[in-house]
Amino acid sequence: MKTTSPVGKSVPRIDARQKVTGEARFVFDMSLPGMLVGKMLRSPHAHAKIVRIDTSKAEKLPGVRAIVTAEDTPKIKFGSNEYFFPYTVDQFPLEFEKVRYIGDEIAAVAAVDEETARKALSLIDVQYEILPAVFDPLEAMKPGAPAIHTAMNNIGVMMPSSFGDPDRALKESDYVREDVFTLPSAAHAALEPHVSIGQYELSTNRITLWASTQAPFKIREAMAKTFKMQEADVRVIKLHVGGGFGGKLEMFPMDFCACLLSKKCGGFPVKIMCSREEVFSFTRRKHPMIYKLKSGAKKDGTITAITGEVIADGGAYCSYGPTVVAAAIMRFMMVYKLKNVRLFGSRVYTNNPISGAIRGFGGVQSGFAIESHIDMLARGIGMDPVEFRLKNATDPNTTTVNKLIISSNGLKDCIREAARRSGWRDKYGVKKETAPGVFRGIGIGVAADVMGSKMYKSHESAGSIIKVEEDGSVYLFTGAADTGQGSDTALAQIAAHELGVAYERIRIKAADTEITPFDTGSFASRVTFISGNATKNAATDAKRQILEVVGQELKLDVPGLDIKDEQVIDKNSGRALLSFDRAVVLCYSFNYGRLIIGRGNYNPKTTPVDFRSGEGNISGSYGFEAQIAEVEVNTKTGQVKVLKMVDVHDIGYPINPASVHGQIEGSIVMGLGYTFYEDLKFKEGRVLNASFSKYRIPRSVNMTEIESVFIETNDPQGPFGAKGMGESSLLPTAAAIANAIHDAIGIQIKDLPITPQKVLAALKEKESGRG
Amino acid sequence: MKTVTLDINQKTCVLEVRDSELLIETLRDRLGLLGTKYSCLEGDCGACTVLLDGNNVLSCLILTLEAEGRKITTIEGMSPGGELHPVQQAFIDAGAVQCGFCTPGMVLASKALLDKNSHPDKEDIVRALDGNLCRCTGYVRIVEAVTAAAKAMEKTS
Repeated sequence: MKTTSPVGKSVPRIDARQKVTGEARFVFDMSLPGMLVGKMLRSPHAHAKIVRIDTSKAEKLPGVRAIVTAEDTPKIKFGSNEYFFPYTVDQFPLEFEKVRYIGDEIAAVAAVDEETARKALSLIDVQYEILPAVFDPLEAMKPGAPAIHTAMNNIGVMMPSSFGDPDRALKESDYVREDVFTLPSAAHAALEPHVSIGQYELSTNRITLWASTQAPFKIREAMAKTFKMQEADVRVIKLHVGGGFGGKLEMFPMDFCACLLSKKCGGFPVKIMCSREEVFSFTRRKHPMIYKLKSGAKKDGTITAITGEVIADGGAYCSYGPTVVAAAIMRFMMVYKLKNVRLFGSRVYTNNPISGAIRGFGGVQSGFAIESHIDMLARGIGMDPVEFRLKNATDPNTTTVNKLIISSNGLKDCIREAARRSGWRDKYGVKKETAPGVFRGIGIGVAADVMGSKMYKSHESAGSIIKVEEDGSVYLFTGAADTGQGSDTALAQIAAHELGVAYERIRIKAADTEITPFDTGSFASRVTFISGNATKNAATDAKRQILEVVGQELKLDVPGLDIKDEQVIDKNSGRALLSFDRAVVLCYSFNYGRLIIGRGNYNPKTTPVDFRSGEGNISGSYGFEAQIAEVEVNTKTGQVKVLKMVDVHDIGYPINPASVHGQIEGSIVMGLGYTFYEDLKFKEGRVLNASFSKYRIPRSVNMTEIESVFIETNDPQGPFGAKGMGESSLLPTAAAIANAIHDAIGIQIKDLPITPQKVLAALKEKESGRG
Repeated sequence: MKTVTLDINQKTCVLEVRDSELLIETLRDRLGLLGTKYSCLEGDCGACTVLLDGNNVLSCLILTLEAEGRKITTIEGMSPGGELHPVQQAFIDAGAVQCGFCTPGMVLASKALLDKNSHPDKEDIVRALDGNLCRCTGYVRIVEAVTAAAKAMEKTS
């Protein structure tokens, strides 16, 4: 098996064959002997007191095996940001005092089949006392509004970000402007619906949960807490996951109930599957936001201050609210050199469905607002938006005003390269009518990546174990959760390179909380960077163990040995001493008897964020990008066509270029959806478009030409220089397009989605002289 | 209940089905052909795509009774003997697979296209895949894969 390193090559995904042949198994496909069908009973009211739950009729229905309510639980609340924000732990796995949104879980049923389970739900008699409900966050903040939890004015999360003297800086500015942006809700729309299979082992009081999840260890923690059990007694297993995008990052009541029902019915496994309507209506959604900004600039192009206020509709519970608000009010400080900042974020409880994490957290909403606003500031002082961004962009090896420690930083190169490739200089500001009433325009947006965000625990460690068997096979155990992004493949590439063997040797086992090492999960673009470093360290350790035996046997110094291309080599001469296979056999043989088990972990160097000011280094490193959109706007119909997107991305180093491009392309197309039509709509707390026919996501016919280019900055902390990058390409897309529309026809849409109606209305307003 | 004889992946299969039984239910729940994916059950997403006499159809919109006497191909029938179909290989090579939940439907819809049109242009491809949703890839590499598969099939035919 002659090879060279797989790192930096677009090797086939480690699970590609199973996926193209349909053999890949998802939890949705799984069944177990004796398995029962579980269903959740959900509140039909947006806000009501629960007076009485009577399950007696349902229990008598033939085929019903178990019914659970809060009375079967220890009544312990869970939340997602417990470590830093204990007051946001606000949800019971089953509610019993009141319900706070249409869909709130109050009971669950296990039965022999779907029909019986459904019928049993209809036989559960719940008496409610309807309470006044509030759906608009601004209304919810007013004194006298219905109190959803105990938070004052329903503001569940308040977060400032405050540095310097913004008031003085605004006064000293040559140009100041104020803008208000509004951002709608959106759905993750992963293709595999949410699903859980729970099994309770009565003899040991242990739980096994199979879930379609991005964070098995996070679910384990919440399950153990709400069941009042030890974490060790809860086993969470992930199979292939059919997409997540932030929507599968938490424990859901259905996870809890699948296990509780199993306990109550005597240990039979219980499977609870969400319908597509349930996924849209009752899982998680993007936080709608109102984003108000007031900022200033000097004539020379220096941004003097950014100030503002962000109000997010949080829905009924807190979920990942603090992280989302933090991203919304802090993320832009990674890209712009600022001295004076003051933003205040409020996440408001309403009786709408629960807002939570979604790709980019609050960065997508902030990306649209900030990047549109920055363009308008540039125009206000008569400066080219590309030059304006270059003037204010952060540099390598700097510490920002909020104490982000930025080492490698290719942002300026990204901006310059995107401008060059898109022909910015020749196109921007040049009026181009390609057909009567059809105008072309070009626009830019920039963004930054984090790779991890220490907001779940005090640490953000990930671990890996590498086991080399006597026959030379290599197993990699990781707790990281590949939900489709390709992290299993990247980790296998890293392990193969570091161990000096062929990629094809690596078999990956992920993730099972009882077997694989701890990993906080797939979020904040952290896996390649954090789990990748852990895997690299584990492979280094395994290699050291092999080389020690070889050194002892051949009476050579271990530091002079290495493994490359499946051979143990003398580093100085490059001469092959023996094959990897033979070296492994040697390790296991006779008196050596060494079982090769390498271990590694990695905890990024960060400093805790002080959430009273917003100061702290949230991530071990930062990635950067610039995106340029070219559009054609039809002023008669209001239709906007995106002709091309150029994305230049500082990814550090691409472990698997095809996967990295795939993340960027997928993000941009998701961004096109959010720009033009994705808008989860509600009426009095009920989702109006809970299907793929009514909630449109981009289809193949909606794709656009994408040019994706890497800037390699070889991050000193990243494995082989790699950085995380799975989310940020979604951040600047809407703003780049909105800015391009302005370049084409002189109107700036500040309210997503950008529909033809809004374009026409803005044109009309402009023509009447008010625009 | 009715007895039907189904031709699935070139194998004959006789079974009793309810009048209202959907093809996706028969395939997944009764025959264990789990490569046909359940995602919306409303005919909106394409994850449950199978081929019926070579045409891509949604198995959540078809009654099993309607499929009697017609050739049904599921993803499990794409690589008899373990050798991948050029479309499958092209999906791997182009990096067109991410979470993989839409992949079986995408592969089958692509095969249906290429069996009818061996030289599709980009427009033909995006139109042929319009009914198959993918949330991961942005379709870029899927279209590249189908283009590459067309070339590969041309060489082998």
